[in-house]
Parts: sequence; structure tokens; C-alpha cells
Amino acid sequence: MVKTMSKEEPSKVTRRATRLSSSVTVSKDEVENLKPNESQRPTLDDLTFGEESISLDSVLSSFPGRHSQILGLVRLLGPLDSPTLPIIIYGSASTGKTSVVLQVFRHLNRPFVYSSCLTCYNPRILFESVLNQLLLHRKNASNEYSSAKRCDKPSDFVNLLREALCNVVDKLSCTTEKSRKGESDGKPKGKMVYLILDNVDLIRGWDKSSMILQFLFNLYHILQMPQLGIILISGVPPDVYYSNMGYTEPIPVYFPEYSEDDLRKIFLRNQANRKLYSAFLDVVLRSFCRVTRRVDELSAAFSLLFRKYCEPLTDLGIGPNEEMKRRLYSHLQPHIPPCLNEIFMVSSQPPNADTNGERKRRASCNTSESREDLEKLDFHMSTSAKYLLIAAFLASRNPATLDASMFDSTGGLDNRKRKRKASEKSMEKKEIAEQETLMKGPGSFPLERLLAIFQCIASVEESSFGEETSGSGDDVEDGNILMSDILLQVSSLCDANFITKSGSCPLEGSTRYRSTVSEELALKVARSLGFPLSKYLYRR
Amino acid sequence: MEKEEPAVKSLNLIRGRLCNPSFVFRSLSGSPDGNYSKLKFIISSSVSEGCNNTILLLGPRGSGKAAVFDLVVGDLLQEFPDSVSVIRLNGLLHSDDNCAFKEIARQLCTEHHLLFSKMASFDENLQFMIAMLRECGLAHKTIIFVLDEFDMFAQGKQRLLYSLLDAMQSVTSQAVVVGISSRLDADQLLEKRVRSRFSNRKLLFLPPSKEELDSLLKITADARFKDILETFFNANSTVNSLLKLLFSAVSSMDLNSGLLSLENFKSALSIMQRQTKLEAVRDCSVLELYILVCMKRLEAKEQSSYNFNSVMKEYKAIHDSFQTSDYYARTVCLRAFEHLLQRELICYADNRGQAQTVEYRPANLLISAFELHHGMRSHKCCPAILLKLLDHL
Repeated sequence: MVKTMSKEEPSKVTRRATRLSSSVTVSKDEVENLKPNESQRPTLDDLTFGEESISLDSVLSSFPGRHSQILGLVRLLGPLDSPTLPIIIYGSASTGKTSVVLQVFRHLNRPFVYSSCLTCYNPRILFESVLNQLLLHRKNASNEYSSAKRCDKPSDFVNLLREALCNVVDKLSCTTEKSRKGESDGKPKGKMVYLILDNVDLIRGWDKSSMILQFLFNLYHILQMPQLGIILISGVPPDVYYSNMGYTEPIPVYFPEYSEDDLRKIFLRNQANRKLYSAFLDVVLRSFCRVTRRVDELSAAFSLLFRKYCEPLTDLGIGPNEEMKRRLYSHLQPHIPPCLNEIFMVSSQPPNADTNGERKRRASCNTSESREDLEKLDFHMSTSAKYLLIAAFLASRNPATLDASMFDSTGGLDNRKRKRKASEKSMEKKEIAEQETLMKGPGSFPLERLLAIFQCIASVEESSFGEETSGSGDDVEDGNILMSDILLQVSSLCDANFITKSGSCPLEGSTRYRSTVSEELALKVARSLGFPLSKYLYRR
Repeated sequence: MEKEEPAVKSLNLIRGRLCNPSFVFRSLSGSPDGNYSKLKFIISSSVSEGCNNTILLLGPRGSGKAAVFDLVVGDLLQEFPDSVSVIRLNGLLHSDDNCAFKEIARQLCTEHHLLFSKMASFDENLQFMIAMLRECGLAHKTIIFVLDEFDMFAQGKQRLLYSLLDAMQSVTSQAVVVGISSRLDADQLLEKRVRSRFSNRKLLFLPPSKEELDSLLKITADARFKDILETFFNANSTVNSLLKLLFSAVSSMDLNSGLLSLENFKSALSIMQRQTKLEAVRDCSVLELYILVCMKRLEAKEQSSYNFNSVMKEYKAIHDSFQTSDYYARTVCLRAFEHLLQRELICYADNRGQAQTVEYRPANLLISAFELHHGMRSHKCCPAILLKLLDHL
């Protein structure tokens, strides 16, 4: 990024400037032009949390429901410069593990190195990230965004880590000698460095994962350095990592899911009007907690509902009395069950801060809109792709032997058969067959069958459209052009996961496909085309 | 502040000692019959007589094999300051032969103040090692090779082991190879040609016997304390796990009084013996419990394999017959199913071979009926209907 343009006039900018950059360059005259290298080289202070240290009480108060876990962690880490055995922190998602650990380290103001296996998705990136932080190396333009040392094997990592740790510990002991008189002035405390590895459970999906997991769990014993403390954060309990090699288990710290009271405290934080929100929570919290207790999923649902809850109120600052609470509850009541059923869906419309009037209007036509939305497709597909999708669905759904009768010239299965009284045996057979369809899933079909069905239904619809077919060119050519276009569409449907490739028999040679579309979606697509799908569905 | 200082200091001292394996094992290795003395005798005799030797240290994890060995080496380095050098290899890091030889060459270079080139090839490193062995033998210096996680070296072609042991056969070399493994049959893994060059000397590191444990328990006459320790030892009686228990207990020490109490040990025991599946069931929401109970019922009906669709059918059947209030849409149930997969309470039965969608892949429960019962009983808001269904399976 060229930062030396501060002296130039904006009109002299020859390259195409976006609005933002040209508005910024005007104010850059006042900004002092620091060379990026010097000001941004990390120092030993960067090994700590970076912001000012907070007291233990503020950590405890900012995490309701985590009192025992925070105290347990602080006690395990121990007093300053006390060696510690490896610790593993585990709990399900969104229980606050990472934030608690980081805030505890902010309170303790001890140097640490943090790496997450979510962003460092293979061993090399993980090792280099840890080493970069220890070697106080930052990737920037001057070193072409490269790491300090190249390291992709655990053996190299151990050697380099030992070197880097010795360096850091020496530097830390120098600074503690110097600043022994001065009290906590933001400098890192102590001579120990802590290594925090987050999302360790993701390593299970890596190549050679068992080796790497063993290595990480045994790292403390391999290194034999008491100045390093290791903390692992995992989303799954430690017994999932058992392998036949055995390993020395770290000390576990468990983060359970929040209870209802804790959830209430969490949601009441940072709320402008606590009484109002608390009345709202009285209404919704219990029923939503029966589905999930994860904070991220609940907060998405609650933000929508709370907006609906506040609609009848003109003044959002007042605390509601009993009568108002009852009114608000009855207003909200019809919205709760559909919201429960959509609790995990992320709405495609962004929440907007409209005025009160527009919100009311939106709320009133919301129910009818939602029904319409359910019936409309919310993505765009070309006509031939839609026909292909329907053809694939039919091919997966119907047995191949029925194709001849179904796609004959009369166009559709004749469902007006005489209804015979079903005997017991056939009922049993029906049940077993139903069971099989539930278990087996959609059937597979070869490409030729798909194309044959596609041509049948496309031609049926074309004839029903009347004289909309193109008059130019002979039919053979049209058929050929259609074919190559169709094959491209098949591959794009595969990419979109509407059709998957299933195993192919080596004797037969051709690949078989499988449709993964649900009946609901197929009906939607058929409705958008005006295609009578139900006539072609085989019902046992 | 001054009152806390002695407590903090003592806490630091105890923690430091617990985390330092050499401190712990030195005190445990007094007896002349123990592994420490035997090992020391073997290695020091090979050093003083200038002969080659190989030995295996075997024992469960956490019994202190590497710690005892480090003690022995420390003593030897004091007794024979210039005649011993140690090369350490670890099976987790160096099981690849290239890596292993590079590491050997690197350690030899640092030991003898030579320049190490990272570009040296496998053959060059091998020749270097053989040459060093010869030179050191001529200078009456013993090289001790420590192979940690020995069984990892015994996988594959065992080239490292063979070259090492072969080099030791020559007259001038003086080397001791010590293998450390937690597999008690590590020597059975060796190839014939390697095993013929390996002596059969093995030292078994067993967990402390009943008498030693009883002598440990004599420090207090408190019956409850004895109970706690006995429950602990019934599960895992290696030294390292005892150290972990003590560490947890000590770190929860009350800093005001500076004394350990029974509560510390109780909490430490509960930390060490976690019941993770029970905790996972207690964490589940009510909908997830419904899904678990449906799967249990399907299992009880002896359906060998079932998938999400069959679970949904069972869920609907329960709702129809009992008119429960907890009936949610299919998408919500699918998401709850995925939460259960994340908690490792259920898993897919196939290995991604079929590439089917989530709803059709066969699934299995990873939790037994007893654990499910137990977890649901201790769940805070488990509906009574679920408990009834589970009881009448």
C-alpha cells in the first residue's frame, strides 16, 4: 500500500481511485507518515493480551455462570512462575471457552502464544504461527509475508521451539530484573510462556491426525521445559482422543452448557431496558431452551422476536407493569411457535431498523408473505436446468421398469386404476417397501436414463406450449445443440449438489448419478414451471 | 500480603517438585533391587568396560521410564564427565528414517562442536554417524542412543534400527542403545535381522505394588482420605497419574490457611475421574433427548441400521401416541441431530463411502442404555414421558 501520497494533490492521482481512498487521501496531509517497519515490529509486550489488565472480579462478573471454571483455571495456572502440567479445556460450542481463557490471561498479564487450529488448517501453518509469535516476527510487506522459519515437521518444530523459548525466557528474565521495583506497568509478568491451542478437535480431520494429536499431547514431556505451560481448548471431550498408543492425559477443565438462569443473566447484559427484556425473557426463554441452549442460536432468534415484542410499545424506555406485560405477551404469542420452528434458519433478509409504522405493516403481511415465500424458489435456475432437476428427481424416485408406461404419449401415469382392497400380505409388503425407501434413500440412475426422461418431459411441455418452439433450423440440429448444453447443465447441477455421483459398476462402465433433492424442492421447481409433477410420481 | 507469601512460596515449591520428574523418581529409587540401580549398573559397566550394549525399558505410560533413565544419565555424566555423550530420538518425531539420521547428525555436531549442514543427504548422514562411532570408539567415548517410543521405530522397514545396530557390531564402536516403550511386546515387533543384533535385556517398570501404596497411605489415619486414594488407585495406579492428582489437589489449596484439606482431594478426584458421556447427556436440550430416546427405541426394536428419516418417523409416532407438546419441524430436528453428532453421542455408521445426504446415512448411538438412563435422571428438565419411554423399552 503506497502511503507516501500525503503530499500529492488528490487531482494528481492518475490511477483510478475509489471514493473512499480519495476521501482518505485528503486527510492524510495531517497524518504523520511513519515507516511501516519500525513502528510495527512486535516487542515482548505483544506476547500479552495487549490491553490493560483487569481484576479477577471483573472477569468473574463478565462471565455469568462460569465462576467455578474461572477460579479452577486460575488455580491450576498457579502463582507467578510456577510450573504447570498441561491443561485441556473442553465443552460444547459457544460455551465461552476461548473468551474465558483469553480474559483470564488478560487479568494475569502473563505472556502467552495463541494459535487456533481453525485458522491454521495444517501442521505447517500451525507450527509457523506459533514460532512467528515467539520469534516476535510479523508478516508484512518487507518480508513478503513469509514466516520467520520454515517448519513443517514435528522434529523441526521441537528444535526451533526450544530455541525460541529459551530466547524469550531470557528476555523475560532480563526485563523482570530491570523492572522489579516498578509495579504492573503493562509489562508482561513472570518468566513463563503459555501456549494456547484452540479448536484442537479440528485436527482429527487432518492428514496423519493421530500422529499430530499424539505429538501435541506429549509435547510437554518431549520438551522437558518447565517454563512452558500448555493449554489446549477442545470442542469434544478428551476421551474422544483415545488411541491405541496411549498418551499422558492433560488435566481436564469442563465447561458445561449454560443453565436457564445463566442464559437469563447473559442476555440481560448490555440491554438498554432491563425490565422490559426481562419480561420478554420470562415469556420466551423456557420454551426456546427446550430446543437448544446455545447462546449463538438463541441470540439470533431472540433479536428478531424482541423486535416484534416491542412493537406495541411507543416508548421503549419504560418498565412494563403487569397489565402491559400481559398485553405484550398476547401480542407476541402467535409468533412464538413459527419462530421456534425456524429457530435455526438464518433469514435472507437483513434486519433493518425501520420506523415503527413500516414495521407494523411488515408484521401484518408477514404471515401471508412467509407462506408465499415457502412456495417460491429463492434462487434462479434456467428452464432446462429446472427440467433436468425434475428429471433427476423422477429418475431417483421411480423404478426404471415403469419408465416406458409413464412416459408414453399420453403423458403421465394413469392414476385412475380400480382400487383393489388391499390384502394383509400386500400391506406388509408395503410397509417393508416403505421402510426400505426410508433407509435406502434415492436410487441411482445412469446418465442415459436421465437424458431420456429429460427429453420426454421437455418435449411434452414444449408441445403443450404450442407454437413457441423456434422455427429455424432442423430438429436434428436443435436436438444436438440441446444435448451439449444439457451435459453442461448436468455437471453444474452436480457442482451445486443437486445431483451426486454415486458408485459405478466397473462392468457397466458408465457413472451413475443420484438426486439429492427433497420432494419439497422438486415440487417448488415444478410449480414454477407449471409442470404436473404429481402425475409422474410413483406411489406404492 | 505478607501473610500470603509463605503459603504462595510453599505452593510454588510443591508444584515445582510435582512437575519435576527427576525429583519425584530420585526419592523412589533408593532400593538396590529397583530399576534405577539395575539400569545404572548396566550402563556404567558398559561405559567403563568399553563394550556395546542394548536394553529395553518397558512399562505402562507414566511409570517413570524416561525419568529414571534421565537420573541415571545425570549420575553418569557426573562420574564420567568426558566419556559419555547422549543422543536422544523420539518415535513420534523421528520415525521417518531421513528425519532420524538428520537429527542424529545434528545432535552429534552440536555435541562435538562441528558444523551441521542441513542439506546433507541420507547417505551422508549415515556415513557421518558410522565415522563418528568409530572415532568415538577409538577415543574411548561411549555414545548412548535413547530411542523413546521405540515401537514407532519398529514400524516400516526398520532401517534406522538396522543401521544403528549394524554399526555397533564393528570392533571399535562403543555404543549403548536404550529403547523406551509403553508396549510390553516391543521386542516382538523387531525384524529377524534386527532382533538377532539386539540383546534380550528388558527392564519392566511396573506400577507400585500394594505394599508401597499402603506405606503411602500411612501418612494419615483418616479413613475418608484412604478411601479417596484407594478409589483412585483402583482406576489408575501409575506414578504420573498420582502426581496429577496431587497437582490438582495442591493447586486448589486454600491460600489463606496454607493447608491442604480433604475437600481439595475430593475435588481433585472428581476432576481426574470425569464421566464425560454423562456430562454430555446432561448438556443436551430436550429435543436432543427426544432424538436419543427415539434411537434407543429403534435399537430395541432390533432394527440393525437406521438413519435420520427412521428417527423422524419414530418421533412422529411418539408424538401421535402421547400428544407431547414438543413437536418441532424437520429442519429443527435435523439441526439437533447435528448437534448430537458434534457432542459425539451418535456417529455415522459408514465411512463416507456412500456420499449420501445427512438424512440417509445410517447412524449409531455411542452411548449405552445405562448411561442414557443415568444422564436423563440427572438432567434438569427432562420430561417425564421420556423417562417412562426409556423404562419400558
